[in-house]
Amino acid sequence: MLRRAAAAASIAIATMLGAGARADEILVGAHMPLTGSLARSGQAFDEGMRVAIQMFNARSEKHKIRLQVIDDESTPAKAVSAVEKLVSDGAVALVGGYGSNIIGPASDASNRLNTTYITAGAVSDELTARGLKTFFRINNNAGYQRGIGTLLETLKPTSVSILASTKEAPALLAKGLQKDLTAKGVKVTVHEFDPAITDFKPIINKVKLQDRSDILMMSAYENDYVGIIRAAKVLKPPVKLVVGAWSLATPKMYAEFPDLMNNVVGTSFLPFPVEMKDEEGKRFAEVYKKTYNKEIEYLSTLSFVETTILAEAIARAADAGTLKSGGLPDAMRKTDRETLLGPVQFDATGDNPRFSVAMGQHRAGKVVLVSPAAAATGEIVFPGLPW
Amino acid sequence: MTDLILQALFSGLLVGSVYALVALGLALSFGAMRIINLAHGELVLLAAYCAYVVEARAGLDPYYAIPLALLVVTAVCAVLFLMIDRIREHRELNSLILTFGIGIILTNAILLAFASDVRTTSSPVLQDATSVGPVYAMNGEIVAFGVSLALMVALWWWLKKSWYGRAVRAVSSNRAAAKLMGISPVRTELVSFLVAGALASFAGVALYTMSVVQPAVGHALTVKAFIVTVLAGVGSIPGVFLAAILLGVTEALTVTLASSALQELAGMVLFLLVLFLLPNGLFGARARRG
Amino acid sequence: MASLDSAPAVPLKAAPAKARVPVGALIGLGLLVLAALPVLLGASNYMLGLLISALILSGVALAWALLGNLGGMVSFGHAAFFGVGAYASALLAGKLGLPVLLTVPLGGVVAVVSSLAMLPALRLSGAYFALAILAYAQIFRILATEASWLTGGGAGYQRYPGLPTVFGFDLASRTGSYLLLVACVALCALAYHAVRRSHVGLALRAIADSEDATRVVGVNSTFLKCLMLMLSAFITGVFGALNAHIIGFLEPDYAFSGIWSLMPIIAAIFGGYRTIAGPIGGAVIIYLFDQIVAKGLIAVGHQIILGFVLVGMVLAAPNGLLGLVRKRARHA
Repeated sequence: MLRRAAAAASIAIATMLGAGARADEILVGAHMPLTGSLARSGQAFDEGMRVAIQMFNARSEKHKIRLQVIDDESTPAKAVSAVEKLVSDGAVALVGGYGSNIIGPASDASNRLNTTYITAGAVSDELTARGLKTFFRINNNAGYQRGIGTLLETLKPTSVSILASTKEAPALLAKGLQKDLTAKGVKVTVHEFDPAITDFKPIINKVKLQDRSDILMMSAYENDYVGIIRAAKVLKPPVKLVVGAWSLATPKMYAEFPDLMNNVVGTSFLPFPVEMKDEEGKRFAEVYKKTYNKEIEYLSTLSFVETTILAEAIARAADAGTLKSGGLPDAMRKTDRETLLGPVQFDATGDNPRFSVAMGQHRAGKVVLVSPAAAATGEIVFPGLPW
Repeated sequence: MTDLILQALFSGLLVGSVYALVALGLALSFGAMRIINLAHGELVLLAAYCAYVVEARAGLDPYYAIPLALLVVTAVCAVLFLMIDRIREHRELNSLILTFGIGIILTNAILLAFASDVRTTSSPVLQDATSVGPVYAMNGEIVAFGVSLALMVALWWWLKKSWYGRAVRAVSSNRAAAKLMGISPVRTELVSFLVAGALASFAGVALYTMSVVQPAVGHALTVKAFIVTVLAGVGSIPGVFLAAILLGVTEALTVTLASSALQELAGMVLFLLVLFLLPNGLFGARARRG
Repeated sequence: MASLDSAPAVPLKAAPAKARVPVGALIGLGLLVLAALPVLLGASNYMLGLLISALILSGVALAWALLGNLGGMVSFGHAAFFGVGAYASALLAGKLGLPVLLTVPLGGVVAVVSSLAMLPALRLSGAYFALAILAYAQIFRILATEASWLTGGGAGYQRYPGLPTVFGFDLASRTGSYLLLVACVALCALAYHAVRRSHVGLALRAIADSEDATRVVGVNSTFLKCLMLMLSAFITGVFGALNAHIIGFLEPDYAFSGIWSLMPIIAAIFGGYRTIAGPIGGAVIIYLFDQIVAKGLIAVGHQIILGFVLVGMVLAAPNGLLGLVRKRARHA
């Protein structure tokens, strides 16, 4: 945490030094779950956000952005309070935290205050169904489903076992995948599990002895992945591949759990080591490593992209002189660019319908993109297991 | 099907033994001193992070963290006890608030120091599988089971045979009479609190070796420990072990035979059923009238 | 003396009813004036938002203290009633289209019905009861997650109306919600006061002194304790429902979160659980202190300051803040 404070301080100093006398300072607010049950996600989002602002300020001469983050403590009421405080402090836009339960009320509050709100942490479709003019998000469940579904289709399994946490995002993903795959004639068995479970051996045993599937799919979070793969290493079910969702195919996961990750597939944006042609990705990875002394990972990449997009839209609106007069949502809707997430373009409800993820496979410390074919940097190892 | 059930029973046994390990310290402080220590889970978590520091930063096997964990946790327990001892009125409720506050301080301190990433052992030996017939386990889990059983026996022996152990039982039974017998209640309670802390240290290191920890886990551990303690009934140490095993097995069987989404539900329902049928827990003292 | 074991020590004793009306009424009046201040002084939406959250907590704290004082039962699981009330009101309003001002008290009623499931736990003592209620809260949470056809499961439920506009006065606005909550807290405080002074309250205090003696005289202690449980559940359910309509998004982990069980306890004991004003004041002070002072000092991890404050308070003022004030007044 000291390193984080030092990093934040150095970014602040760099920003101040970088800001010339001409540059105007624009305040952007953010509410993140930095403590509480969602702290893991909040801290990662926070890091990516700060790097994005740092990089934006470094290359922007006319406009400098100052970031103010308030901890929403993983509760909706405090997120709403944070939104109100930030807007009253003069924030022109807000970056949202994590969890539809929190982002829903927070973005409602933001909309009432006519402030643009962007998030990468809420996949519930109820949020875009509201049709708020000021709400934007760069990722959604459909994209994850498409990414994972595409991979699974090319592999043509006969049966798939999905282990899904009962929390919002994993449950939504699992349901969607089940529908898709069953429609294509694949036998799907879904095992929902309570997030409090730490010993996955009974479930894996069911997969091993009852399901006899080709592919083990995990729709869950980091601590679950570790538990599931560990249990699978012990029981060794006769599956051919282990696939997960977010926060899995990252260099960080491999660095922390090298014995568990080999040949595991997860959603990913960048190959690792980041390749030459991904100019922005390379720079992001470098700055992130320098600031936080660790490899890039999933959530920080998401928040990096959303913050960068927001910053650029703010610059556009400021240049056009419409920033203070409510021109930011329109500037946001002019976004049409390639990012680490692929193409980003917002529709009328604020969703990014072109969102889709690539799938990456851990290979002895590297992450190789294996799907879809257009983004692939290597062939998938199938069958391939961490044991 | 038999294989599934056998594995469920075995897994439940191992997981239950860790529940017991976590609950033992609480059973002692709650049973002997009637102190509701809401920071117990955080103490276990603290020990787990000691193991993390030893393994990740010093590169040693996590079990080497036990001396460090003992030192750190018992020191915190001593401070905790000194504060509890200063409470003159409404001891139970006030110790509840006090330990709740300490729990918050510890959780946030750990969060600030170590961030909220998930931590667990990376030792391949501990994660390797052992098989006993048709059932499997991680080495770390087997060791945890052994430690839990050993500590349970040691604690039971200590309470029954050693001087301090008997003093603890005397003080919890009748404080005034114990004082008349020459037993210093304060010192005895301090000792039992420190022993509870020592048990928590072992639990934390064991937890680190076979499960993932993050700062938010502290509260859940406290709740689990209380459920197990009350399920067992106040006053029985072997009862804690058995009650924890029962809980673990129930959870594993629910996962295997029904849905894994209902694991926690089964545990809670079991808890309620036992309490309704046996209001003083499985092995607690017989119900008193009035 | 508060006690959570099964020994014949007395459970939480209700404070003796004031024979002289003025002091209690004065305190009540003073609090109402205090409550009107934010609106009169034109507090910002942010400030009102904080007060709204604090008042939700104070309502639950009041209900908890009522159960503890009058019912003699300490509960670690009031989140059960909170969540049930929240979901009941949201679903009745969202799916059946009933008016929100009706579904809020109905949410309280559904919470009362759910408390009937806890009747077997009434004969448990002390810590056993406290933990049994906690188990119920967990069970309800998991049931709400599983019943996704009804509650939306883990994905949550959002399509329900917020607070309505009544006689041209928008209750969904910050000012409106705040005044509504002040009114609700005041009503519940009055109800608490009324029960305490009634013969029911007298009987409960007698039970607290000696359950055997009262049974001999023919007082049905179990029935009375059940009534208190139901009343406490009703109040908590109402506040859960209000919170649901103010926040606008429900999910099981939030509605049944342990925070709703633990923070009211802390607030009530902090403010002095034996009084009526104590839980209310305690909740407001703790919440505002935490969000304004502590968060201003340490942006991340400011709860640590709250932890220190609680520890300090226990060591310095075991009877809660109100007890400290009383002690000072006596010495002054």
